[in-house]
Amino acid sequence: MKFKRNILACLSVVILGGVLCAAGQEQARVVDSKVSSTSSDAAPSSTLSSSKAVHEGTYSRFEGEKRYRANCGRCHMAPHKFPPRMMATIVRHMRVRATITDEDMHFILRYMTE
Amino acid sequence: MSTAPGLRRNRAPSLPCRISLVGALLIFLGVPALQAQDQLADPKPVPVIIGGSGFITTFDGGEPHLGPLIAPVLLVPIGDRWLIESRATFEADLTQQPGSSAFHGQVLKSVDYVQLDFIANPYLTVTVGRFLTPFGIFNERFYPIWVRNLMTDPLILPIGIGPSQASTGAMVRGGFKATSRFNINYAAYFSALSTVTLSNVTPLDSDRVAGGRVGIFIPNARVEIGGSFEHLLQDERSNSFGFHGGWQPPALPLELRGEYQRSARGSGYWIEPAYRLNQVPFWQYAMRRTQLVARMQQYFVGRLPSDSLPSVNTRQFEFGVNYYFRDGLRAVSSYGRQFSDMGNKNVWTIGLTYRFAFPLGHGDEN
Repeated sequence: MKFKRNILACLSVVILGGVLCAAGQEQARVVDSKVSSTSSDAAPSSTLSSSKAVHEGTYSRFEGEKRYRANCGRCHMAPHKFPPRMMATIVRHMRVRATITDEDMHFILRYMTE
Repeated sequence: MSTAPGLRRNRAPSLPCRISLVGALLIFLGVPALQAQDQLADPKPVPVIIGGSGFITTFDGGEPHLGPLIAPVLLVPIGDRWLIESRATFEADLTQQPGSSAFHGQVLKSVDYVQLDFIANPYLTVTVGRFLTPFGIFNERFYPIWVRNLMTDPLILPIGIGPSQASTGAMVRGGFKATSRFNINYAAYFSALSTVTLSNVTPLDSDRVAGGRVGIFIPNARVEIGGSFEHLLQDERSNSFGFHGGWQPPALPLELRGEYQRSARGSGYWIEPAYRLNQVPFWQYAMRRTQLVARMQQYFVGRLPSDSLPSVNTRQFEFGVNYYFRDGLRAVSSYGRQFSDMGNKNVWTIGLTYRFAFPLGHGDEN
């Protein structure tokens, strides 16, 4: 019985890991396809590409601030910005402590280190 | 030295078991390395010390207590996916002895947790070592002195978190975007029995338990709900469970949090609203730094005795005012009234809290 239980436990771990990784790869593919479709839509002129960069920067800042307020505000007052390398450590810590998603963590880190 | 065939068959790792373990290792170690290549370059992290300190004066039933406290957290990132984190607490509960006006007490030192985190992939983090038990949300997230709105602990805090608020073992946890509307977060852990006591530090003991917590966070509405479950694998082998929730309406500077927990040793709930006076139209400089807090809580005795929980049914109401001087520094004050069969009493607190953070290296360089 114990032997069977061990096998079942191992298989459960593998299945869980597989499902999570598959979900992760699927998510990454969706993000990649969105990025590539946005890139292909862009016109070759430098004016359009620079306006696209400004738009992406604005979007990133907007999303970063939104996610920063939503996630950090769940527990405490939003802190001031710290130096970039320090912020990278603190955000990694908070990702583990507050189970922040990977996507949110990157948006928040980019926003906090701008 | 010879082993019976039956016993050998049970002890030797079987082929499916080996394959499963190798598969799990490949998943945890191999695939994320490929995914990591797609990520944009983030600043290289540096070791950091962050934490909270404070000096809280409490009048508990008329008896004054002075409580200086400092709790540094050491964070040491290693590479792209590892993190060592540890928190120590140095605190004292200074009281007046009969016939003396001076305050006396010992400095209590404790290592709250020492854990190694491995970010296996965007959806999974593996933690080993001694970690804060993720039962409910207060112990893990609201306990630090610079985070909590009221300086007193909820009555039900000891439920499910073990004898010294931590577990010794392994944990998997993470958060991921389930749909465009909400995120799911989870934690599952196993803790071994520990009776370790260092000579001059509080015990590093823990119970043998297995448990987990799962929650849903809706970012647009800023609503979080979830539940925890734990099974004690020793003594009476009882179950504990709880629910938690939180809401910060985007249009208002309001926070609403609460928890309900139930175990064989007791059950109860707390609800804590906090309102920042940003929208008050007068004295705006002072008002936007002022926060009003309240907490209602109730505790019911369980069928088994407990050293850390109240011995009788208890109700408590608290009201507090906090003032934020600047980021990380604030004055706190509160008044509470406790009702129980042991007698009613007032609990006053007043003090200062400060959050500090500094890098152990060059924080600015990339």
